[in-house]
Amino acid sequence: MRCQKVRKMLLEGWSQDLEESTGTHLSGCPECRLYAHDLGRLRSGFLALAHEPVPEPSWGFAERLLRRLEEGADTQTFVEEFFERVGRRVVYVAGTLALLLLLVLALPSSGPLRSPTAAELYWSQSDVASMENDTGLSFESLDSSDAVQAPAAPEESGSGNKP
Amino acid sequence: MGCNLCRLFLVIADEEGEPYGIGMPGPADQASEEVQWIKAAQRGEREPFGFLIERYQRRVLSHVARLVRRRDDAEDIAQEVFIKVFRALRTFNFQSSFAAWLSRVTVNHCYDYLRRERASRIDFDWQAPEGEQEEFDTRVEKAEERSPDPEKQAVLRDLVSKLLDRAPAEDRIVLGLKELEGMSVEEIAEILDLNLSTVKVRLHRARKRMLEDFRSLARGK
Repeated sequence: MRCQKVRKMLLEGWSQDLEESTGTHLSGCPECRLYAHDLGRLRSGFLALAHEPVPEPSWGFAERLLRRLEEGADTQTFVEEFFERVGRRVVYVAGTLALLLLLVLALPSSGPLRSPTAAELYWSQSDVASMENDTGLSFESLDSSDAVQAPAAPEESGSGNKP
Repeated sequence: MGCNLCRLFLVIADEEGEPYGIGMPGPADQASEEVQWIKAAQRGEREPFGFLIERYQRRVLSHVARLVRRRDDAEDIAQEVFIKVFRALRTFNFQSSFAAWLSRVTVNHCYDYLRRERASRIDFDWQAPEGEQEEFDTRVEKAEERSPDPEKQAVLRDLVSKLLDRAPAEDRIVLGLKELEGMSVEEIAEILDLNLSTVKVRLHRARKRMLEDFRSLARGK
């Protein structure tokens, strides 16, 4: 039997008699024997502690307590009473949810800022064609297979081709 | 207390106005009168609550003294427990026994107290100081050599007491209920509102930690 298993059994069977296999192991294993010895001493300490007399309530304990209640030790604020009635956990969860909801509402509806996508940087062929029709300029001379860069290209090419 | 109880048997009547009877009550009568006290206390009446205090003050004080292990503060803490009970009595729905519910409130209060106390302590170091280790070592070994049992028991008791004072609140509660109060695992599970296997695991862990600390303190390992 392994030492670890024996020690686990010793801890679990704290106040029970040892099994035969455990006893056999202990007789041949000084480490586990020491472990069992210490466990026995700890148990003795607990037993001695358990036999200590507990204090008796002093005379007039109940009267003093009732007077304390009369004097208003039991008065609790609305918040305390609410917490006790509803349960703290429910209140905490509701509070967290409310905070999250507020955060969601407080965020701008347009969403976060982002850089323009590749599709937005380029004009499609139909855009280019309509631009050509509108301005009377031709972009075919530019070295681009199917699209033209959008923001700068029309102005630059437009200004460069001005008669 | 006796006079209070006698007066109560004469005065308290049940909902239909029938008196409980005069004389020493049997267990059924006791349970019945207790229900009436609780119901009256739930309506805010203090006198019936006083009878509940009289009946359970020893039990609460015993729990507190064994779990918190501050004899000087035990009575104050027990009073706090009863004030808490009075406030929370409206939530008691008679699904468990009042004694078990009261124990649960007491244990929870002790647990909170221990956690607060532990948090406010400066020495978070779980390891015993060098000098203290040697002192315990010497005392335990000497007591064992001379081996008069009471002395040895007293040394071990002090050692365990000291270890318990340093143990985490969770360990103190579970070990206190099992080893000092002598409760069964089932009773502990009911009081702590846990299932049996969780209690067994916690108990095993607490014993293991306690033994490790005991060995390191007593043997300087």
